[in-house]
Amino acid sequence: MNSKLIKELPDLLANDVISQEVASKIEDYFLNKQDQTPNRLFTVFGVLGSLLVGLGIILILAHNWDDFARSTKTFLAFLPLVIGQCFVAFSIWKKKSNAWKESSGTFLFFTIGSSIALVSQIYNIPGNLSTYVLTWIVLSLPLIYLLKSNAVAILNMIAITYYACEVGYSFGSFGESPWLYLVMMALIAPHYYRLLKHHKNANMTSIFNWLFPLSLTIVLGAFVDQLSELGFLMYLLLFSLLYNIGKIPFFDEQKLRRNGYLIFGSLGIVIMILTMSFDGFWYLERFFFNAQETYVSTILFIANLGLLIYSYSKGWLKTFNLFQYIFVLFSMLYVFGLNIPIIGTIAVNLMVLALGITTIKIGADKFHFGILNYGLIIITALVTCRFFDTNMSFVIRGLLFVFVGLGFFLTNYIMLKKQKSRVESLKH
Amino acid sequence: MKRKHIFILFILVAIAQIAVPAQMIFGRESILKSGTAFKFKTEPVDPSDPFKGKYIILSYDVDNVKTDDKDWQRQQDVYISIANDSLGFVKAISASIEIPKVGDFVKANVNWYSERDNILRFSLPFNEFYMEETKAYDAELAHRKAQRDSLPNNTYALVYIKNGDAVLNNVFINEIPIATFVEK
Repeated sequence: MNSKLIKELPDLLANDVISQEVASKIEDYFLNKQDQTPNRLFTVFGVLGSLLVGLGIILILAHNWDDFARSTKTFLAFLPLVIGQCFVAFSIWKKKSNAWKESSGTFLFFTIGSSIALVSQIYNIPGNLSTYVLTWIVLSLPLIYLLKSNAVAILNMIAITYYACEVGYSFGSFGESPWLYLVMMALIAPHYYRLLKHHKNANMTSIFNWLFPLSLTIVLGAFVDQLSELGFLMYLLLFSLLYNIGKIPFFDEQKLRRNGYLIFGSLGIVIMILTMSFDGFWYLERFFFNAQETYVSTILFIANLGLLIYSYSKGWLKTFNLFQYIFVLFSMLYVFGLNIPIIGTIAVNLMVLALGITTIKIGADKFHFGILNYGLIIITALVTCRFFDTNMSFVIRGLLFVFVGLGFFLTNYIMLKKQKSRVESLKH
Repeated sequence: MKRKHIFILFILVAIAQIAVPAQMIFGRESILKSGTAFKFKTEPVDPSDPFKGKYIILSYDVDNVKTDDKDWQRQQDVYISIANDSLGFVKAISASIEIPKVGDFVKANVNWYSERDNILRFSLPFNEFYMEETKAYDAELAHRKAQRDSLPNNTYALVYIKNGDAVLNNVFINEIPIATFVEK
């Protein structure tokens, strides 16, 4: 963007929009700014290089060289590890740039994994994949803080999520709940907190803003044990929590694409509720309170409520937004309306409709076409779902579609007009 | 934090990073040096692993034992007492939850218990044998071919055992190491 502006300068000068003095000032400003962030590209390529070399080494060693003696193989298992450690030691000791630290850290991360893998290969140690990944994480996690490395943090987060899936969603045998996942995520959290505090607007921070909710969304299902009926409630409460986090002014004031919490939360809530709006969903077979799922749901509910009360006390809840409160309605519905399908279905359908209208209103208030149409899409999805599972006559269904279609045209048209008149009024 | 402190901390982490695989090696080397060697009759099949490379899974002939204990749970650790039969291959004698005080034994995992004929099925943990990637599948074929000749089952795994812990050293077909047998 900077260079684009600099390219525009001669044009602006020629058309007498700015003076020569202003032009050179702008140029100076951007050149200075560029000097402060010199080797970002270098870091990216360094990390990418290390990533590929590290993965390559794992593959080469996995060939399993029969011709080498066991001692040679053992030596080869440690060689990359020691080289990686030397690079890291060098970049710490010589206080090298971020590019050095990120790349050497990434390389070391992979060599840790390859050395353990090779040793188990040499001695035919039967592999339990989750234990292997866990050892790998424990040995590489300190590097995040010693090197202040984002790349190692991201790799660890991926590994931790993978570990949780391996433990929690094991196919065939019984899955266990990956409690250690929470501990390890908590160990990465300080790094993320530091990023949020000191580099609020960095691109790296927004990558974490997406990865954190993504990882939580993937793993939450692993905590579903026997009472899978409550899984839906757990996910809805998680998405609601993510949405409420995304609504904290710290995140809400940033660009929408940087706010993974809000987008995850909003999409999640809509998809969950749409799924539950089907008639067949509400015939639940059993329900009991003394289960792991109940406790997890309770904790998530309290977290939601706590965050909401905190937001209220801080004066952040200026306008009413149904998305932020839907979890209360929904939890009540889940606990009380379980065996009365007709109530559950009707209530949920009304909720989706209300959410759609809420979204359209937010879009209209903010003059944001994206949000406006997102609200319309929610309603369209609702209508489409009902198209399949109700016994309404074709005429009524057809009319519904026509109305929603007209809604698309009208709302967009009205907003476009409003925007034009606003621009006009700003001009005068 | 000062650079010196970070550096010292890193050295500690680096030592741990080396210590974990090193400790794995020492444990196995000590079993190979001072453990007892046993021959387990086996059959290889060919799966793969994303990180560690190709291996063959060994399914052992010794996979059940008669026992009167009835209280078994899936995946539970069990100690199997073993001895050699007249041909020099391993046979299972008894199973117990506690470590046996006399004789040789090996740690295994409970599969299931059949109350009808009082037989406990178990799986031995040393069932992965790593091979060069081109050879793993050939090994399975070679075993199948060797199976067709006169001797009933001539494929066995050489396993070193010490205090119940085992290290799989090699797999033989007709007394020839499987990697060499495949090359022929």
